[in-house]
Amino acid sequence: MATTVSLEVRDANPTKALREFLARLLTEGLAGGVLAGKHLSANGGPQGAVMPTLVTDPALLETTDPLAPSFPLNAARLVSRLTRGEGEGSLAAVLRPCEVRAFTELVKLNQGAMDNVILIGFDCYGAYPNADYPRFIASRAPDEATLAFLAAASKGLTDGEGYTLARACKACEHPAAGGADLNIGLFGVDTGQRLLITANTPRGEGLLNRLALSDTDPAHAQARESALEELIAARSEYRDTMFAETATATESLGKLGAYLSNCISCYNCRAACPVCYCKECVFLTDVFDHKPWQYMGWARKNGQLRMPTDTLFFHLTRLSHMSLSCVGCGQCSNACPNGVPVMELFRLVGDRTQRAFGYEAGRNAEEAPPLTVFREKEFAEVTGGTD
Amino acid sequence: MERFEPTIVAFVCNWCTYTAADLAGTARMIQSPNVRLVRMMCTGMVDPKYVLKALLGGADAVLISGCHPGDCHYINGNYKARRRVKLLKEILTGFGVDERRVKLTWVGASEGNEFAETVNELVEDIRELGPGETSRMMVI
Amino acid sequence: MANRIGVYVCHCGSNIYPRVDSPKVAEFAQRLRGVVVGRDYKFMCSDPGQDMIINDIRQLGLNRVVVASCSPRLHEKTFQNAVLRAGLNPFLFQMTCIREHCSWVHPDPVEATAKAMRLVAAAVDRVNWHEELYSREENVHPDVLVVGAGIAGIQAALDISRSGHRVHLVERSPSIGGHMAQFDKTFPTLDCAACISTPKMVAVSQEPNINLMTWAEVKEVSGFVGNYKATVRLKPRYVDMDKCTGCGLCLEKCPTKVDSEFEEGLAQRRAIHRNSPQAVPNKPVIDASACRVLNGKKCGVCAKFCPSGAIDFEQREREVELDIGTIVLATGFDTLDPTPLGQYGFGRFPEVYTGLQFERLNNAVGPTGGKIVMKNGQKPESVAIIHCVGSRDVNHHEYCSRVCCMYALKYDHLIKDKVGHATRVYNFYIDLRCFGKGYEEFLRRVQEEGVTFIRGRPAEVTDQALTPEEEGKLIVIGEDTLLARTIRVPVDMVVLCTAMEPRADVAEVARVFGISQGLDGFFLEEHPKLGPVSTATDGIFLAGTCQGPKDIPDAVAHAAGAAAQALALAARGKVTISPTVSHIDPDVCIGCKTCIGLCAYSAIEFDARRGVSVVNEAMCKGCGSCAGACPSGAAQIRHFTEKEIFAELDGLLAPVRIPVTEPEPGTAGAANGAEETETAEAQA
Ligand SMILES: Cc1cc2nc3c(=O)[nH]c(=O)nc-3n(C[C@H](O)[C@H](O)[C@H](O)COP(=O)(O)OP(=O)(O)OC[C@H]3O[C@@H](n4cnc5c(N)ncnc54)[C@H](O)[C@@H]3O)c2cc1C
Ligand code: SF4
Ligand code: SF4
Ligand code: FES
Repeated sequence: MATTVSLEVRDANPTKALREFLARLLTEGLAGGVLAGKHLSANGGPQGAVMPTLVTDPALLETTDPLAPSFPLNAARLVSRLTRGEGEGSLAAVLRPCEVRAFTELVKLNQGAMDNVILIGFDCYGAYPNADYPRFIASRAPDEATLAFLAAASKGLTDGEGYTLARACKACEHPAAGGADLNIGLFGVDTGQRLLITANTPRGEGLLNRLALSDTDPAHAQARESALEELIAARSEYRDTMFAETATATESLGKLGAYLSNCISCYNCRAACPVCYCKECVFLTDVFDHKPWQYMGWARKNGQLRMPTDTLFFHLTRLSHMSLSCVGCGQCSNACPNGVPVMELFRLVGDRTQRAFGYEAGRNAEEAPPLTVFREKEFAEVTGGTD
Repeated sequence: MERFEPTIVAFVCNWCTYTAADLAGTARMIQSPNVRLVRMMCTGMVDPKYVLKALLGGADAVLISGCHPGDCHYINGNYKARRRVKLLKEILTGFGVDERRVKLTWVGASEGNEFAETVNELVEDIRELGPGETSRMMVI
Repeated sequence: MANRIGVYVCHCGSNIYPRVDSPKVAEFAQRLRGVVVGRDYKFMCSDPGQDMIINDIRQLGLNRVVVASCSPRLHEKTFQNAVLRAGLNPFLFQMTCIREHCSWVHPDPVEATAKAMRLVAAAVDRVNWHEELYSREENVHPDVLVVGAGIAGIQAALDISRSGHRVHLVERSPSIGGHMAQFDKTFPTLDCAACISTPKMVAVSQEPNINLMTWAEVKEVSGFVGNYKATVRLKPRYVDMDKCTGCGLCLEKCPTKVDSEFEEGLAQRRAIHRNSPQAVPNKPVIDASACRVLNGKKCGVCAKFCPSGAIDFEQREREVELDIGTIVLATGFDTLDPTPLGQYGFGRFPEVYTGLQFERLNNAVGPTGGKIVMKNGQKPESVAIIHCVGSRDVNHHEYCSRVCCMYALKYDHLIKDKVGHATRVYNFYIDLRCFGKGYEEFLRRVQEEGVTFIRGRPAEVTDQALTPEEEGKLIVIGEDTLLARTIRVPVDMVVLCTAMEPRADVAEVARVFGISQGLDGFFLEEHPKLGPVSTATDGIFLAGTCQGPKDIPDAVAHAAGAAAQALALAARGKVTISPTVSHIDPDVCIGCKTCIGLCAYSAIEFDARRGVSVVNEAMCKGCGSCAGACPSGAAQIRHFTEKEIFAELDGLLAPVRIPVTEPEPGTAGAANGAEETETAEAQA
């Protein structure tokens, strides 16, 4: 059974309690560095810029705010950078559940290692798209905005004038980080009083032992469980509606083409995708460096050719490469300059492909990605049972 | 009305199905001319991109055919192909592409008749389904 | 520089033309991008046909060639050579099949011609992207490694050494001979096993070209065909091989006794031991797990009595590195442990034996001095021999072990011969498989000796007597399927013909050598019929029962085959490495290792320093499993690159203008001015 402890919150400020917790990891030598979202406004950045920051000096944790509903990028890629190859001291990374799951996928693909990192996830109410977050925070002080968000989100009130929670988050049925070493519990918790910390792994257990935090009241843990279940139910319902809409919108290749009409082949979605791990996308290599006469040839076939080309081809290929590893973080949609609903498409197809292979992206680091393995006897239906 | 003549691309492995196609030829087994072969060394070489490219390039169907399970010249390339085709089918059927438009079969080197039958049946199936959407699309 | 392509369309006598209008196809080709010349000819593969290509390359400066004719499986090499003779790299050539896949199978000339045009267009598009490729030659190290010195390994080592090549023979046990060394007589000739195998074993020890390493194992193998490196672990024997004279004094003095593996648990041996006085080498080894000194206790008796001071408790494990060109695996088989088949009472009833135990009972230097007697020293009055224990049984091994019927018959005869003609012998069999040379004759001989054959797999062996005659006996209960009735046969002794099975560590050995196992668990041969000796890994061959159950003649024949194959490589001294293999672009590879896990030939290694995967071209077979999986397109197969395949697809799918008038048979000229139309797909 996973151990759950209670982290005391003073001044009704859970963000502060979390900062203190992270500072303890540094001062007590449990981690050499902490990766967490930090408001850059304190360093001269614009209001609303929250970026994952690697902090080694506990004094500089001041404006870290991992719970801020800002999600400029999926930090799994950064953790991958920080854990690939020889490390130096261990790292504690505070991540959203989808970041933990994306990192798990990357580890399977040799793009990072679990050995030297403490993954700290948290109960995630979701985040605003990049364009919305500055409107949400407006001129408020960071902590004030985040506390207001937590209070509202716990009542299911996330959307306001000029800001709407990302659809990916609304459709996310994995709001807690079961795969992280530690998960910070917020759902159903009186965060003005306490945070719950659950250890999901032996490493997490060890850490909690070292920190000697007080045991939690089973009733508090129970309350969180029920709140989590409720949230998952609501989000699953949202997701299913989203799936149904997307399925109708893309029920034929022609419709898929229309769905992607606005795609300008900037490949931002793939750059933002945490699990699209290639150094260079094959669509940027000379394989797709077509000759002028080739375009003319294709155009002649039907008398017209949409430029840029290879749009459907790109998205279908990316679906074949990555839908199995898609964790649904929504960064693709967040990154698209032209409002193509990429996340909706990937989640829909990912749901189907992952189910077909009995696979769930990010569930477990031991589970091999479906295309990296095979068995002699399987999927007889593919050949109509001829094998 | 004129009969619909589908365009079908077949990725076949050198060691089994390509050989079977040769054999079918030597035995003069009449086949529909709609299927055009691309010779691969093994079905394990068939990158899903090739199948997508063929479909987007206007093929009404794609056939992938190699050695029977256990007979792959490279031990297990065909098992890898099977997973990839499984994946492609999952993706494409969601976009309304009929399952029969991406076909994987095993045709051994000695099975010339099997090859001719596969070709003729597939052409009939696709004829029934009608033209694939991509042959008329401007977006590729 | 733009490519200058020549296209040649064959008539193949009347095989292609007129069904496919070859001149028309050639004329069509001439209009394709990059094509400088398009010609048709009666027989492209003939000398004049090839000369036509050669002349055009020289005179028109062609740098790409396409031939449309028969299947490339027939003449690709012919045309590649022609191209090469003209000084062009043979890989700048593409062949497309318009006979087997076109003229012979499409009766309608218009359709056939249209398809031929598409195929030609695809070949032309593809050839644009072809690259110059060069095959490589690698030297083959002349030495051969043979692993396992049972009869198969011995045969292979002797055959190879006699050719003058050096053999490293690595045997895991203290002495060589394998299972055969445990036998007394061998079917079907009943000649004594020692008499036929000892000369071979001695020859091994005396052959200067054989470096025999017993009490040794291969720990790691790296490299590729012709250039393997093997690390051999030499376990400490605690006996100095140079000093020991094999006198055997120590064997009697050692106070520590344990069950003997060689005697199949029927007798004990000392901590310092050897299999038999005839063992090769006949120098003992100290069992470190049993020896008192090596377990921190007081003893050292052997050292005290050894007249030559050969005992050396300070010996440590050593490793040697060997450079070899080829490897023969001859690691043999294990027999199935019948204990889990509780119904036959092995381990519960002292008079239930395995086949190997029975071999030892028969052996003149075995625990009973070769007498077939029960544990109480009495001769058995009756013996039951149960065939197929664990073989041909879906719960254990589906396959037939191929030797049990025959050695059961051998036992029939030996019992009659040694115990006395009155001894009753019952064979419980499913089918009698006596397929070898002299085997059926042997069966007849044994049948004439008066043994009983009962068809049916016994259900149980029990000691629960129901009648006075059964009292004190083992009762074999079964069904005689020929008479369709249940029977109970009381006997004194039961012999179980247990299945031959893969060695317990077969998976580990397969990993070390980078080869595969079949469904039955034995090492997998390259082809079940045409490559029973080679493996999918070039330069690694199989000899004897490590590939599947065999009797001695088959094991020896198999071994001789393996020796010949290894020698063929070693003697030529060179291997040609095909250039159409995988290449991973290090600038593109992200090091996900997906390809490594999928390569059936262990041909890809991870370069940790650069964080990329690297193909060993000598091990790669060009199957494309890696390329098919690599998401970034870093891994590509030369001559089957994405560019090439995409171009081919473009050509196949481009709309083609085809003539609607049928060609006049016999006119080889270009039919100018024929009415043309777009194909259906172009209008759709
Ligand atoms: C009970 C019984 C009776 C039989 N009677 C007959 C008979 O009368 N006539 C007949 O023709 N056949 C008979 N056979 C079959 C016969 O035993 C085999 O055909 C023969 O022994 C096969 O020889 P081998 O060299 O392939 O294997 P093995 O005899 O098993 O020899 C393999 C050798 O490799 C060594 N080895 C294993 N693993 C390694 C490793 N990793 N590294 C180094 N060395 C290793 C082993 O120690 C052994 O010395 C009988 C079989 C059984 C079970
Ligand atoms: S082509 Fe086949 S053999 Fe060569 S490296 Fe790739 S997977 Fe291995
Ligand atoms: S699959 Fe591709 S990217 Fe991954 S290691 Fe192999 S070559 Fe590199
Ligand atoms: S070689 Fe035919 S499928 Fe692999």
